[in-house]
Amino acid sequence: MTSLLKGIGGDRAFKGATISALVLLAIFIVSIIISMLAYTDWNTFISALLSEEILFAIRLSLITATIATIIAILIAIPVAYAISYAKFPGKDLVDSMLDLPIVISPVALGAILLVFFNTPLGASIDDNLIKFVFAVPGIILAQVVVISALAIRLLKSTFDSIDLRYEQVARTLGLSKVRAFIKVTLPLAKDGLIAAAILTWARAIGEFGATVTLAGATAMKTETLPVAIFLSLASADVEKAIAVIFLLVIIAVIALLIMRKITRKRYQI
Amino acid sequence: MIEIKDLSIDLDEFHLKNINLSIGHREYFVILGPTGAGKTVLLECIAGLHRIKQGEIWINGDNITHLPPEERKIGYVPQDYVLFPFLKVADNIAFGLKEAKFSKTEIAERVQSLANLMAITHLLNRDTRSMSGGEKQRVALARALALSPKILLLDEPLGALDLQTAKYLRLELKRIHDELGIITIHITHDQTEAEEIADRLGILNLGELEQVGIPDEVFFYPDNAIVSDFIGSPNILECDRCSSLGQGLMEVDCGGLRIVIPHDGNSIERIALFPRDIYISDTQPPGPHMNRFKGMITDIKPSGTTERLLVKVGDKTLQTEIPRDISEDMELTVGKEVFLILKLKRIKVYECKCNHKQTEKPI
Repeated sequence: MTSLLKGIGGDRAFKGATISALVLLAIFIVSIIISMLAYTDWNTFISALLSEEILFAIRLSLITATIATIIAILIAIPVAYAISYAKFPGKDLVDSMLDLPIVISPVALGAILLVFFNTPLGASIDDNLIKFVFAVPGIILAQVVVISALAIRLLKSTFDSIDLRYEQVARTLGLSKVRAFIKVTLPLAKDGLIAAAILTWARAIGEFGATVTLAGATAMKTETLPVAIFLSLASADVEKAIAVIFLLVIIAVIALLIMRKITRKRYQI
Repeated sequence: MIEIKDLSIDLDEFHLKNINLSIGHREYFVILGPTGAGKTVLLECIAGLHRIKQGEIWINGDNITHLPPEERKIGYVPQDYVLFPFLKVADNIAFGLKEAKFSKTEIAERVQSLANLMAITHLLNRDTRSMSGGEKQRVALARALALSPKILLLDEPLGALDLQTAKYLRLELKRIHDELGIITIHITHDQTEAEEIADRLGILNLGELEQVGIPDEVFFYPDNAIVSDFIGSPNILECDRCSSLGQGLMEVDCGGLRIVIPHDGNSIERIALFPRDIYISDTQPPGPHMNRFKGMITDIKPSGTTERLLVKVGDKTLQTEIPRDISEDMELTVGKEVFLILKLKRIKVYECKCNHKQTEKPI
């Protein structure tokens, strides 16, 4: 068998197999998206999209995902920088812990948050500071918890690609550590930062599991786009669900195209 | 003046052990050593890029051991220059000046004068990423000199350049140093570069400073076997007779080897020549026979990326050095006949102390 895969014939077979897998996967993704069209017509689609409930969900999703992305990036910048450059005991353990939100199910993360807000400390925060449980801040918190790990990973790889010597040179030119970070490292990380922000924002827009567990699925109150899909399907309103799904697909495609454009023109460091 | 006292540091891959060094005002000091010797770490310690737990660094009477890099007033040109890719050349040079809050007029004047000094005025609006190694080096130098530092640190400044550019910029570095008169510490693993540019040099090996002195002193009188192994012992030939050929040339006879040397002074007592300054060829080289000898290889010893060969020429045995890949291409083996070509300019002459201009024993 292995002898059959040697030489030029083997090379061609390997190339053919990998390209076939790629084409099959692309056909599968495109066909399941197109197949949804069979369930609806254009007029129903547009009227579903412009319904008050869906417009509310669009607005809420855009606002919460944007706030969550800003918070997540602000958290991720110092954390990713520390993991990338700092040396301290137990760094590997801390690094692995930060990946937990990526591998744990979002529903479980939402449940953990819900349990936290039932402890005396959590309940006190929820009652006296900001109302998270079954409220809009809960959506933002759930999104932040889910996307911050992704933002940290993306920014860490950006910082890893930036030679520390840029900062060192800046320091010999009279800049303090903080100034060197702001004036040199951040400009060098600009493209990585934008790419991380777009990807995490797109992930936040699509977040469902943690959001629904912590903030609930109340129509016109905590109804984000994924929650709208869930509520539409639950009430057998397939047209409305399809309209929202298309909207999410379009947002994802635009985000990925912008990402691709940015990552192509990154600084050669 | 810079003084390093009992400096030790232990990093993951490199360490420095009890470094004691004093570098004088206006001096061009070269730290020479093999790859992995700790040269860059020493430079980074002076620049303030490592926390020093043992030892002290003093500059002009001030203890700067624990000062952060931004307060040391040291110009630093790292290996590969590390220019900021998001800034144009002029902005790279002006980077430190802007941070120090110089006025726009002062910054423009300073950038212009540094560009003139480095001969890079035509590059000021260029993107740094599209420049050659030599151009980048000049920009990095201008950037490091912008704040008029007390000390200039150069980490392998010529390492990434082609031979011709490196040779030209070596002279330029010396010219800039002489013009500005600041202490310059230059690190390299290239002996020829060190010998040509240094006022004094120090040999660093495995984190220890083995010898400090003027180039002739270190190259011809190594303190210990480590230095001697690194630089390679010179061939020293006692001269039996010598005679002036006129026009600044002298012919010496060293045990039957007749060598012509550019020299216009007293009689020559002995000459010295490093193994790396003797070319080797497996075919008879074309041209006049001056300073070319036929010999036989009697020993081959590997030394890093090179091979050191002993070649018997008449009664004398000369040591020569050749990159290993070239040696393999030429299929050099013990017993093989080869031709040696002595590099005329690199022959070191020791005059007779008898103060004679005339030759005592004409050939």
